[in-house]
This record gives sequence, structure tokens and C-alpha cells, in this order.
Amino acid sequence: MSGDDLAFRDRCAIAGIGTTDFTRNSGRSDFTLALQASLAAIEDAGLAPGEIDGIVRCDLDLVRHNDLAHVLGVRDLSYMGDVSVGGVAPSAMVGQAAAAVIAGLAKNVLVFRSLNGRSGRRYGRSSATQSKVGGNNTYDEFFAPYGLLTSGQIFALIAQRHMAEFGTKETDLAQIALTCRARANANPGAQMHDRKLTLDDYLNARMIASPLRLFDFCLETDGACAVVVTSAERAKDSPNPPALIRAVSQGAMLDPQPGVQFPVLMRDTITTLPAKATADKLYSRAGMGPSDIDVAQFYDCFSITVLLQLEDFGFCAKGEGGPFVSSGEIDMGGTIPINTSGGHLSDGYVHGMSHVVEAVRQIRGTSTSQVPGAQTCLVTSTPLPPGSALILRAS
Amino acid sequence: MTQSQRRVLPETQDPDTGGFWEGARLGEIRVLECSSCGTLLHMPRAYCYRCGSWDNHWKAVAGTGRLHSWTVVEHQVHPDFPTPYTVVLVDLDAAPGARLVGYLDGAPELAVGQPMRARFENVDDDVTLPQWDPA
Ligand SMILES: [Zn+2]
Repeated sequence: MSGDDLAFRDRCAIAGIGTTDFTRNSGRSDFTLALQASLAAIEDAGLAPGEIDGIVRCDLDLVRHNDLAHVLGVRDLSYMGDVSVGGVAPSAMVGQAAAAVIAGLAKNVLVFRSLNGRSGRRYGRSSATQSKVGGNNTYDEFFAPYGLLTSGQIFALIAQRHMAEFGTKETDLAQIALTCRARANANPGAQMHDRKLTLDDYLNARMIASPLRLFDFCLETDGACAVVVTSAERAKDSPNPPALIRAVSQGAMLDPQPGVQFPVLMRDTITTLPAKATADKLYSRAGMGPSDIDVAQFYDCFSITVLLQLEDFGFCAKGEGGPFVSSGEIDMGGTIPINTSGGHLSDGYVHGMSHVVEAVRQIRGTSTSQVPGAQTCLVTSTPLPPGSALILRAS
Repeated sequence: MTQSQRRVLPETQDPDTGGFWEGARLGEIRVLECSSCGTLLHMPRAYCYRCGSWDNHWKAVAGTGRLHSWTVVEHQVHPDFPTPYTVVLVDLDAAPGARLVGYLDGAPELAVGQPMRARFENVDDDVTLPQWDPA
């Protein structure tokens, strides 16, 4: 532990949370979704919209700081942050907001993510539309001409390799999908609330990119989430119990590789994510380890992504993720209950930010799959390139 | 799909990676190597992360490797790539640390670690795609 850890630890809190509904076709603009989630979060924090003085957005968002500042009636927009990249951003966005508060740059920072991920720009589609792809340090020229076009295909290659190295089974991946679905079945707001999923359903679903099937993939979603970060001191006055921000980290590996995502397949190992470096730093800053975590929200763009992170965050040894999930350790009552709203696999894919919201619910004791007496919740934002993560705790 | 229908083609003139595609047209698998310390620079970049040298050269290596992983794509996401097709990741025998991607029609039987051999697909006058077949 260093003095820097103490300068950050528990100094700020998430005082407000807000979401829109999660749907396949919102019929609203990204901006309207962002605004609805933001207004809900600000009200939940017991603040007036004009009291927001900082805004942090994700680099892939279509909504800008000034878009929101104008309609919220922000009197004095003092801090504007952008965090990269996509699903890597959410935990770090909260971290940046907290750092701004601690540094005195702003008092109440709105953090939001909004996307029409199903009816608008779909990340599961190939973006290779030009006649020549790549160049300019994207390195796409080594991938797209071979039909390697999506994140799902990258994780399929990783999953196949994990199976070959460690004997991981398709039924292990199934367990992750089934667990998230069971949590969604308890969450009336989840898109898959009314739809049960059995192992047979999972195995009989169509293959998308082997070994990954339909239910290994998250739900492309229209929706938005927002949170309000403020000082722990001010958060005491808010209507809801504050979720203290214990620690935040960002991390990369020694050979992160360039580009947005495909070159990660050139790393020495593709079965360890930047989650490992992110986790080690997070635990050190928090003065905690995996055994101190009561519940976790793992970034689940795909089932295999959860399995890798369970290993990289130290809940089991590298290679043992398969047996770990299949023995029920991620279920309610297991070592580490995960994705208690249903996660991206069965609640909605709001690019990691819905996990932050659900973590706050766990700390408040208001989740639809509440872990009894949860005092700490881990949030991961660690898919492919670098990563970020945070730990919330009850005060 | 015939070769002439393939529309997703690589940029072959990039200053950092163009040498790879120049080699492919000559029927060579090339990797970029630091001229000062011999470190393999993959993905190709003009600067050596190990010794700080800007001096490097393209080196032709044997077109043989081992299958690192693969996926059979069954959900089509691009009109130029009808399914099913297979994407392979191949570790080069002669350049440890260098891994390349290949495309195979259909869903051939494959196993991690199996030997793979380069084949050169001449797409047009400018572009040759190195591909990888089971050896
Ligand atoms: Zn060198």
C-alpha cells in the first residue's frame, strides 16, 4: 500500500444511479436515452440537475458533454472527461470522476453511457466496408481480409484455445449463460426476464462462431445508464446509502499490442486478459483480495470473457475456470455470485455501465438477486485491449 | 466464392506493414526483424521496443507453422464471407512469437498444434493473401 492508495480509498461514493428501460428498439435517440438515465441518477442522488458540475463520457458514445449540460441546466460545467475505449471504460470512468472530485475539479460528476446498440450502431456487425482495409496502425489488413471481422470471432478463437490448453468444456460455458439467465429471470427489468434457459436450449441453439453458440453472446441493446459520483462526505446527505468507491484501476499487459481489438490475438498468450494486471493493481489499492469480495459484476460480452476474468481476478487458478463455474461457485450462495441483474448476457448490453449500476444496488441491498449482507462488490471492465475495474463497499 | 468476388482487401502500402504484402506477392512469408538486436517486431512497427532501434528489415521465413486456434464461423456478418468458413491462427515455426491469420472454406477437421503450410492466393495484380492449409 502507498500513500496514494489512501488518498483515493473510500474518499468518494456513487450517490445516485439511473437507467432507462433496456430494449431492442428504443424509438428514442441516444441523447434522449442518456438524458433519461442522467435525470434518474441525479434525482436518485437527491440533487437538482443544475448542481452537476462535471460530466464523464465514454469515447464511443454519440452524446457529448455539452449536449447534456445544456438541457440539465448545468450552471458551471467545470470538468469534462472522456475515457477509452468502449467496454474498457466504465470502471475507469467512475475512477476519473472520483479523481476529479478528490482533486477539487468538480463536486458532483455525472457518468453516463448511452447506446442504441441494437436498432442503431451494432458492434456485432463488421465495419469492413471499404475496398481496402487496414493501415495507419490499425493492423486490420492482417485480419478482415480473412473473414475475421467481429469481437465474437476473436473470443471464439480464445475459447477454442482455452479448451485445448485446459480442457474447458462447452457445458462450462453453458453454466455462465445459465447463471446469468437465472438472475435475469428474477429481475423484472431484464430483457430475458420471462424466458427460461435450460442446458438443452443452450446446446441446441445455433453455433455463431465455434465453440460459441447463440447464448454465449450478449444481448445487443438499446439503453442508457448513469451514475453520480461525489465526495463520501456529501454522499452522506443523499437519500440512499452511499456506495463508497474503495479502489479503481486501469491496466494493460506487457505486450498489449496495437490497434482496437484484433491484434490482441498476437499476444504470447491469448487465454489471459489485461484483467490480470488490472486485478493485481486493484486489490493492492483496495487492500483487499478475492476473498474479500462478496459479489461481482463481470464484463460479459461473451460467456468465455467471464471465465477468463474469474481466473485473472484470482477467484480460481488459470485454467480452472471451467470446473469452477460448473461446480456452482458463481451461483447465488457460491464463492462469488456474479452478474446479479442478468448481466450483458441476459439483462442488457450497456457496454459495462449497467454493471456499475447493479453493483450499487448490491451495496444498497436492493438487487433483485441480493447477496445477503453484501459489503463489497467488484465491477470489471476488462474485455480485450487494456482494462479497468473497481470495488465498491458499504459505508 | 471465387477470388475475383472478394472485396475486403488489405491495405498493402502502409509504411509499417507494406513489406509483408510485398513479400506475399513474391511468394514469401516475411516478418519484420530489428537489425540491431534481432527482436521480432510483430505486429510490424518501425521501432524496436527492446533496444530502441529504428533500424529494421524484412526477413523471409519458412511457410510452415502450427495451428494456435481456429473458429468455424456459422453466423454471417459480411456479404463477402458466406458461411460456414474457418478462421485459423497459425504460429510460425521459424519465427517464434509471430502469428498469422488464414481463411479456409467450410469446416475442415482441425486440432490445436497441428502442422500448417502456407499457400499464396493471388487475388489480383496488387494483392496476394498468404493462406494456411493443414499440412
Ligand atoms: Zn532491437
